[in-house]
Amino acid sequence: MSYALQTLWHERQRYVSGVFAVTFSAMLIALQCGLLLGLFKITSIPIDHATPALRDRIIWVGSTGAPSVDLGKPIPAAFLTRLAGRPGIAPPEMYIANFANFTKPVGGTELCFLLGTRLDDEALAPADVLTPELRAALSEPFTIVVDQSDVGRLKLDSSEGKPKINGKEVRVVGVVAGLKSLAAPWVFCSTHTARQLMGPMLPPDHTTYFLARADSPERARQVVTELRDAYPDDMAAYVAEDFSYRSREYWLTRTKAGVAIGYAALLGLIVGAVITYQTLKSATEASAKEFAILLALGIPRWRISVMVLQQSFWVAVIGMGCAYPLCLGLRELARLGGADVDLRWEVLAGTAAVTTFMCAGAGLWALRGVRQIEPMSLLR
Amino acid sequence: MPAISTTPTLRGVHLTRTYGDGAKRRAALQDVSISLYPGQIALLMGPSGSGKSTLLAVLSGLLEPDSGQVLADDGGEMHDVWAMTPKQREAYRLRTTGFIFQGFNLFPALTARQQLEIVLNWGGYAAGGEGRRQADEMLDRLGMLPNRSKKPSQLSGGEKQRVAIGRALVKNPSFVFADEPTSALDWENGQKVMELLRDGAHDRGASILVVSHDHRLLPYVDVYYHLEDGHLEERPLTPPGH
Ligand SMILES: Nc1ncnc2c1ncn2[C@@H]1O[C@H](COP(=O)(O)OP(=O)(O)OP(=O)(O)O)[C@@H](O)[C@H]1O
Ligand SMILES: [Mg+2]
Repeated sequence: MSYALQTLWHERQRYVSGVFAVTFSAMLIALQCGLLLGLFKITSIPIDHATPALRDRIIWVGSTGAPSVDLGKPIPAAFLTRLAGRPGIAPPEMYIANFANFTKPVGGTELCFLLGTRLDDEALAPADVLTPELRAALSEPFTIVVDQSDVGRLKLDSSEGKPKINGKEVRVVGVVAGLKSLAAPWVFCSTHTARQLMGPMLPPDHTTYFLARADSPERARQVVTELRDAYPDDMAAYVAEDFSYRSREYWLTRTKAGVAIGYAALLGLIVGAVITYQTLKSATEASAKEFAILLALGIPRWRISVMVLQQSFWVAVIGMGCAYPLCLGLRELARLGGADVDLRWEVLAGTAAVTTFMCAGAGLWALRGVRQIEPMSLLR
Repeated sequence: MPAISTTPTLRGVHLTRTYGDGAKRRAALQDVSISLYPGQIALLMGPSGSGKSTLLAVLSGLLEPDSGQVLADDGGEMHDVWAMTPKQREAYRLRTTGFIFQGFNLFPALTARQQLEIVLNWGGYAAGGEGRRQADEMLDRLGMLPNRSKKPSQLSGGEKQRVAIGRALVKNPSFVFADEPTSALDWENGQKVMELLRDGAHDRGASILVVSHDHRLLPYVDVYYHLEDGHLEERPLTPPGH
């Protein structure tokens, strides 16, 4: 075991505050990033739940410059021919995705987001949570399905009155679970129902998206590139996983939520760095006489500096070692409360990098104490 | 007393050192010259504030004198310690010098053996198994081998000072400087320490300078210097009247 680690263990009551500070900073950063990513996953639900197993080979075609799946504008159905007939591509299907006005049965309106898809077994677009029974029910005109979490918000639990979308009466034929919404509840229906409900807002012979399945992920990327090159002006094409990423990223930047998280993380880092610095500094001061002896004996000062930096490294490692299990525990707790904390490996690795960097900074800062150690102080 | 070489390995020549400025100016050393010989243990005594620690620091390359020279044998040639660059002086101390102080200054987290190993490892003398072997050999000479796995909190004052002596001697220095090495110990342990230091000088040919207030150390040394008001004189070892 290294001298640094041995000292850390022997004087653990001294280092515990530094370790705690690192744990705190790491948790703050990881959980905030995880919460944010979890939250913004909602923005790409229509993409992520459309046959998830094929997310690397479903091609989405929509209007130009649609920065996010909920902001697509109608495109002519005739664009179908641009896709059809290409080798390695299955015949495309239409997907209508549009904001609509939801009138609650008890009165009052909410914005909702209509997702009108084909419903047959081969269809790519319908959400994976729609069971064959629900799909069958949705094939009736003017029927819809909503998520469990939006039932209360849309007042669908009241026995009197009928809900309306864009002024037309609809019938709720079932609920699904796990598709939370942010601003507007998702409303699942058939393309036919969606077209009826949108009325003049969706011009005839228009759709919001085309979805087509490629034989392989490579072929999907090829076709996307071909389409972009051939029709740069009035059409956009993405592979599903890229469009999903783009939608989340758009809302993350658009809402400046990343900036807010950045500030909170910075604050956590500063607090962590100051406490870690204090810990290392007091530890260095406590060992000043021992270090002074080594200097008198001619041991180069950098050896002592390296030991302090090693200690800062171990403080980082132990602090994060405590933080990760706590983060995972809190994620489960958040899940019980209905919030999704997305602790993907990028979040954990990024947190580790930032925290180690912070500890290295605190260690370097504490080296000022090493420079002040003087062998002469030992003589009396 | 063993035969002592006639060529000194460390010479302080016309050393002067003052502290403070203006009215507060005070000379701690005034034209002090001293020679240390290999295999010899020297005792430096004098009243409190007479400049003993100052002389030790100047001779050992820790404190720069105002004037005068410190000439040291380093690899068979005499070098002026205070004409070296700080880096050179650090390397010179690493090669040649050991220190023992009143406070033992051992790392609380490390075992007796590790206190010696850290010097061997970080000083580039020996690493790994070889470092452990050399440390154990030194501890054995000091009668501390059974305690090699103990940390300072598990050792008595005398045992701690023996570990500190081991740390000073383990790299086999030509010069060893000890400032009040026995004053934190009872007489029995103080005697033991002096015996070990004397053996260190006589067996290894080191030049050892011990600073102390304690006249009882006289029987353990080869020469005795008295420092008072910054002036040094050599005194006979047998007190007058014997
Ligand atoms: N850093 C300093 N600044 C100013 N004066 C100092 C300093 N160090 C020592 N002195 C003074 O120089 C004189 C000699 O000090 P030194 O420490 O060498 O004495 P000493 O003989 O070792 O005393 P003691 O037996 O008490 O240890 C003393 O008067 C002391 O006050
Ligand atoms: Mg003194």
